[in-house]
Amino acid sequence: MTSAISGPIAGPSHDTRPRFAAVCGRNLRVDYSGTLALDGVDFDVGAGEVVALLGHSGSGKSTLMKALTQMAPATADELSIGDTPVLAQHGRDLRALRSRVGNVFQHFNLVPNLSALTNVLTGGLYDAGPLNRLGVFNSAQRRRALELLDWVGLQDRAGQQTRTLSGGQQQRVAIARALMQDPELILADEPVASLDPRLAGSVLRLLQRIASERHIPVIVSLHVVDLASTYADRVIGLHSGRVVYDGAAAALGPDEVIQIYGDGGEFGDDGRAA
Amino acid sequence: MTTVEQPETTREHEERPAHEERLSESDLRRLTRPVRMPGIGGTVAIVTVVVAVLWSMNGADVDGERFVSGVPRMWDFLSRLWPPDFGRLDTIIRLLIETLQMAIIGTLVGALLSLLLSFAAASNISPRWLYSSSRMVLNILRSIPELILALMFVSAVGLGPFAGIMAIILGSMGSIAKVYAEAMESVDAGPLHALESTGASSRQVIYYGILPQAAPLLTSYTLLLFEGNVRGATILGLVGAGGIGMELTTAMRLYDYGHLSAIIISIVVLVTIIDRLSAVVRRRIT
Repeated sequence: MTSAISGPIAGPSHDTRPRFAAVCGRNLRVDYSGTLALDGVDFDVGAGEVVALLGHSGSGKSTLMKALTQMAPATADELSIGDTPVLAQHGRDLRALRSRVGNVFQHFNLVPNLSALTNVLTGGLYDAGPLNRLGVFNSAQRRRALELLDWVGLQDRAGQQTRTLSGGQQQRVAIARALMQDPELILADEPVASLDPRLAGSVLRLLQRIASERHIPVIVSLHVVDLASTYADRVIGLHSGRVVYDGAAAALGPDEVIQIYGDGGEFGDDGRAA
Repeated sequence: MTTVEQPETTREHEERPAHEERLSESDLRRLTRPVRMPGIGGTVAIVTVVVAVLWSMNGADVDGERFVSGVPRMWDFLSRLWPPDFGRLDTIIRLLIETLQMAIIGTLVGALLSLLLSFAAASNISPRWLYSSSRMVLNILRSIPELILALMFVSAVGLGPFAGIMAIILGSMGSIAKVYAEAMESVDAGPLHALESTGASSRQVIYYGILPQAAPLLTSYTLLLFEGNVRGATILGLVGAGGIGMELTTAMRLYDYGHLSAIIISIVVLVTIIDRLSAVVRRRIT
């Protein structure tokens, strides 16, 4: 199968792994030992689309993302990324699927005492040769990692340990690591929750740019409704593990926000429960 | 409907913040004290510790009077150590170098084997059955004193530093492999999760996620182990397992206090130098 994705930062074309066009979930359920984190969720995400997940903490946003790479114990009538049925993948096939999904995390999850360049290179571990066990990546991989650092504006920080970088810089390194995977889906779990508003905007613009340039779906969970309205094409609102809103981000109004978050006052439902 | 003006105090009561109504003044005082009186659990813990100390003092024959009456004899012993006799300094230096060499080889080999064993003993790396069995092996190793190991190796490979090195290796494994494993278990799980989500294999997660994060702690613990092994190697000679310990025991048996004093001073100097150097390196890496 040939790549449906191309762009200025696309990787080498010798890859023969299956390519994904979009994401689809039907009756997706995640049960954490009796606690239903997702309860029959239906959703679709198109290629090139930025979809924001909104909802309270514990509403199921992170779980939905984890389910997409079998990081959560999911069952579903259908859960697919492109042509690949997620839940049918095991062992090396599952690793192959994961290698096609770039993840961006709230706390960046970089290895703090490795350089920015090595952290980016770890995004290509699935494809790396046997020498990488000795810490040796080939020159093509190193060049590509440098290009990606350049693309996120951090080539001059390539040799710096990531623990010495600012939050915004660390998140950009994490995005470069995700791009090193040559991903066909990006999952960003609260990627701006640890950043100030200015850096949050720059990170979300970067994700927007990735979606449009590479024509891949980007699913991003957010806590700020305004950011979702500004940077996402569509919003999926979750409440207690169920979809309560699925529509254009531009159409998100106060009623829809109440639908997603409830009208529990300053502390939402948590406050009421207390 | 008539309105009745409420007294000032009642209005004030109504305007008081909710938290003040729930917490009394004494509650607030108690909660904001830096040190609180122990509760039931704390009292039980204190009583248990006191009982354990009294029980141990009684069983171990701890006697204050005997200590006080023994002070003059201790002073007598210490006064015989002066002046030190450095007449056989060449022998002392030769044996100190041998002691250091034993510690270097014992630490390096012991640390390497401990690292291998620690992969099996880390709960975030190895399966449950391997974790449990390797922890059991480590517990057994740790429970055997190094001098007993040295005695065992003296009878196996004969007198000399080789037996001491073997004892240091096994002793190191007992003391450090569990610490290594715990250093690996304590690394931030976030980067490991991120690596796993890129499709990295378990070995790659260990190599690129666990080891780099644990490296500063592993190095620091290895240096501490080395410091301990230098000190430990000085007494292995007591059972004929090489190093300066044999010379020390002989000097004591022959009442050669000047030489004994010179040996002790030399050991203190060596151990202090090693400790200082090790502390400098540890400060730089952590």
